[in-house]
Amino acid sequence: MDKSDNKRKEAKNLLLLSTLAGKIMLKNGAETYRVEDTIERICKSRMNIKYADAFVTPTGIFVSLEYDGEMMTYLIRVKNIKIDLNKIDLVNQFSREFVNSNMPTDEGIAKLKEINKIKNYSPRLKILFGSMACAFFSLLFGGTFLDFLSTYMISLIVLITINKIDRFKMTFFVNNFIGATIASFLSVISTKIGFGQNMDIIIIGSIMSLVPGVAITNALRDTISGDFISGLSRGMEAIFSALAIAFGVGFVLNIYLRG
Amino acid sequence: MSILIQLLLAFLSTIGFAILFSIPKKSICKSGIVGALGWITFYIISIHLNSYTSATFFAAIVVGILGELMARYYKKPATVYIIPGIVPLVPGAGMYYTMLALVSKDFYTAINKGTETFFIAAAISLGIIISTSLSRSIKRMKHKN
Repeated sequence: MDKSDNKRKEAKNLLLLSTLAGKIMLKNGAETYRVEDTIERICKSRMNIKYADAFVTPTGIFVSLEYDGEMMTYLIRVKNIKIDLNKIDLVNQFSREFVNSNMPTDEGIAKLKEINKIKNYSPRLKILFGSMACAFFSLLFGGTFLDFLSTYMISLIVLITINKIDRFKMTFFVNNFIGATIASFLSVISTKIGFGQNMDIIIIGSIMSLVPGVAITNALRDTISGDFISGLSRGMEAIFSALAIAFGVGFVLNIYLRG
Repeated sequence: MSILIQLLLAFLSTIGFAILFSIPKKSICKSGIVGALGWITFYIISIHLNSYTSATFFAAIVVGILGELMARYYKKPATVYIIPGIVPLVPGAGMYYTMLALVSKDFYTAINKGTETFFIAAAISLGIIISTSLSRSIKRMKHKN
């Protein structure tokens, strides 16, 4: 009796482990099919689990598995997605290791929790390099050296502000709107005081860190894999992020052109 | 010469985006190469064909295929290489010029720029769709054998 109880607990732990792995991947911007695949692989790798299925959308994970004629189901809700591609890679490696070894589930859960804590780069470094990307982008668009400098400083300010207001847990729409507003407002000012030379290039460069590149890529990859619900919702995210940026820029330009 | 400069700038820009999205440290350089080659495709084709839409389409295909190849070779998720490479192609400039025309009530230019922006976004989609489904079907073929 004790033995079968233990085994049952092990199956439950396996379910928890697989959903935790899926949650970390989904939270950091993995495609739907990769999350589903990882969860199913982890579940099916152990003991006598014949049936395991996962249904993943960008906002939640449902997993059920059959153990000894009993169905177990687990559901978790996923909120605020942040992009950290390194964690996706780490969980991917972990799942491969877990499936091909006899790692106990407790150890696996501990390892996953550790992965969840890893910070690949410090937030400061991310902001510095993110604004570097925008600044070089303005050069690609034919900006001068002064445009490069002002784009660098403006996107630095935009990224720092977005990082700060992230704590208030506002929606991505508000974040993008505020970011685009600040970017265009500061660009107007920097050209007014004669520091930047081409206002349009500076604005285009500084909004580049806000554009929904991840949402576009994932929306399409989901749709091709047949995950139409995820594809649609991520496509919606991309469209509304773009609209928020456009509204932010338009808001400032409207005032600038009138006044 | 200008191509070399563009290559270098695009490389640096993609590396910046790669770190912003926190990709694994070992993949930074490779994703920079993917992004730089994608941008160069965009640059050369946009000069020769004088069309941003088709240039974006081919650039997205290059980024997609290179990303899938790197993913296969280095055993990493393909998005690690594709996402930083795609970001420079996203039509931020088109969005800006559409908005500028809209607020200055120049609706003719707004429609012009707006459609171009929309088609550039569609071209990115098409490019990724083609490269991804190509790699999927190759994977399936190999699975069968």
